[in-house]
Amino acid sequence: MAYQQQSEEEVAELQKLSNEYEPEVTGPLVGQREPSTAISTEYASADPVFQAKTAALPQKYSHYRAVRGDGRCGWRSIAYGYFESLIHLGDSNKFLEEEARLRSLSNVLNEAGYDALLYEDFADEMFELMRKVHNALPAGEAETVLHEAFNDEGLQNYTITYLKTLTSAWMKTRQADYAPWLLHQTVPQYCDAQVMPIGAEIDNVSLSALKDVFLSTAGIALEVLYLDRTEGEEVNMHRFDPVNYHGGVTIGTIRLLYRPGHYDILYKVEDFPQPPPPMQTYLQYGSHVDDDPAGEVGCPDFMALIPGMSYVNPHQAWMSNSSYGNDFFATSAPVQQCLPPVQTPAPQAQPQIQPQPVYASPATPTHLVAPPMQMPHEMVIRSVPSHANHGHNGFQHQLSGPFRPSAWELEDGFVQATSQVPFQTSIFRNSHFNTAHFLNPDFQPEEWRPEDESHDDHHAYGISRIPTAIEATLENTKSID
Amino acid sequence: MAGNKRIMKELGEIQSNPPDGVSISLPSESDFNVWHATISGPSDSVYAGGNWKVEITLPKEYPFKPPQLSFKTKIYHPNVTNDERGAMCLGMLRADEWKPPNKIADVLKLVRAVMAAPQPEDAVETSIAEQFRNNRKEFDKIAKEWVNKHAK
Repeated sequence: MAYQQQSEEEVAELQKLSNEYEPEVTGPLVGQREPSTAISTEYASADPVFQAKTAALPQKYSHYRAVRGDGRCGWRSIAYGYFESLIHLGDSNKFLEEEARLRSLSNVLNEAGYDALLYEDFADEMFELMRKVHNALPAGEAETVLHEAFNDEGLQNYTITYLKTLTSAWMKTRQADYAPWLLHQTVPQYCDAQVMPIGAEIDNVSLSALKDVFLSTAGIALEVLYLDRTEGEEVNMHRFDPVNYHGGVTIGTIRLLYRPGHYDILYKVEDFPQPPPPMQTYLQYGSHVDDDPAGEVGCPDFMALIPGMSYVNPHQAWMSNSSYGNDFFATSAPVQQCLPPVQTPAPQAQPQIQPQPVYASPATPTHLVAPPMQMPHEMVIRSVPSHANHGHNGFQHQLSGPFRPSAWELEDGFVQATSQVPFQTSIFRNSHFNTAHFLNPDFQPEEWRPEDESHDDHHAYGISRIPTAIEATLENTKSID
Repeated sequence: MAGNKRIMKELGEIQSNPPDGVSISLPSESDFNVWHATISGPSDSVYAGGNWKVEITLPKEYPFKPPQLSFKTKIYHPNVTNDERGAMCLGMLRADEWKPPNKIADVLKLVRAVMAAPQPEDAVETSIAEQFRNNRKEFDKIAKEWVNKHAK
């Protein structure tokens, strides 16, 4: 291996280079969120340990945010991550709660001997920033406000000084907790020399104290990923969960990438709001609205208005395109669920040997025309997360595979005869994919009873024999009636 | 701006309750970032009996950058530059050691402490520092001469 062939001098040289790594001192104080593949590229020509570790990074941490390495990047990253966690949570009350909590910590600052006349300047700027971000929340501009504020060096000074003062005060009033971590220094000496000075970057002890006073109590976890030359395929991760605080509930996680002397912010995909789902998601149900006025197929539209109900063309018996996803998302928008008759080859009561296209017909290509010009507002807001959509498709595939067409087909008018309830198989009805459960307060999972097996002669639907699964459906249907 | 608010607070505090041996005035009514301090020599030091004018300049980033001190009255001291700037820059006054909760009053107390006890290991005037360490008698003599010549 190349790594083992390196001479000791070369290794020493590389170690020296990594020790001397100087992060960018120009550029914005806080950069934009970027794909973390940029970090892999940056280290593509570095030594093998860094190469391997940075190559593995984007698999888990999709994005990162560069923070200016001016000696305060650790403090800045944590402050930024704190605000981002609150924004991502999106709870207006949490902002107010946090402000109240931080205000109450003035006791600690006073107890530690900080002059209220002086620290209130730093605290006030912090609270004002919290309110600014909070006020920008409804308009969805909180991230922009935050980013601008953190690139304002004047304002930034106040925020970081506030955090430093808080950290020092917390340590000074809990000296027994932190003294064991300090060598040849008392806690007050440490705070004066290594926390409070403008040029003092965060280190392990102050990081730990800041996490205790600022993050854990807010329910925010902290992960630090160490990118160094120690052996291994991946960066070493240290995670601090707010276990003893906040009822153990974690509202967010700040992830920091640590390279000797420098911190940047890392993100997993779930850490930030996702871009809108792909267009295809609403193309499927949007097209029904536009192309197929309900009147033409003459389905009873009151059924479609009932939350959780959907009327499905009898011949589309199985997974009729996206109808299940549809009725969940369209409950407040009176969207007709009827499917175009054009699509159905109308299988009549005759044995079918060929697989029918209706069984697995996820949105035929002809349906995927231009998106509807006017989307009902609700749909945009409740847009289906893309992963949910995948699950849905997966289910379709799963069903369409092993399913064989039955020799028994229902006659026309069958659905009308059974009071036009949603026509679903018992398999799907009880599936966790069936979102109709969410809206049905009377939902009960079906149970198998031996006595049900013994008699089936009370069914009289004008057909001589129906498949067992459909029988079960009808049984259940009656009880809904 | 908030920095100004902080300066006003400190000015109010220092005028109502000045540190020992210090008085403060503002040379300009419109500029709160330049203060003039008159500092009396600590009684148990070679500087006893003298008074020094020190200009304190507060950078616009104050309190996130330290004040700058300039002795307008000449002083023979290892920690003060022996030129027209008369700059003193040690300890808490260094940019990377400055702490935003430090007050100007703290700075003035430091100045008097350093006058009472020069710190040759942190000297800006190495020859004076050497003399202070190795020929204390000679140092005391010159310092007192300068007090009589400039600071009275």
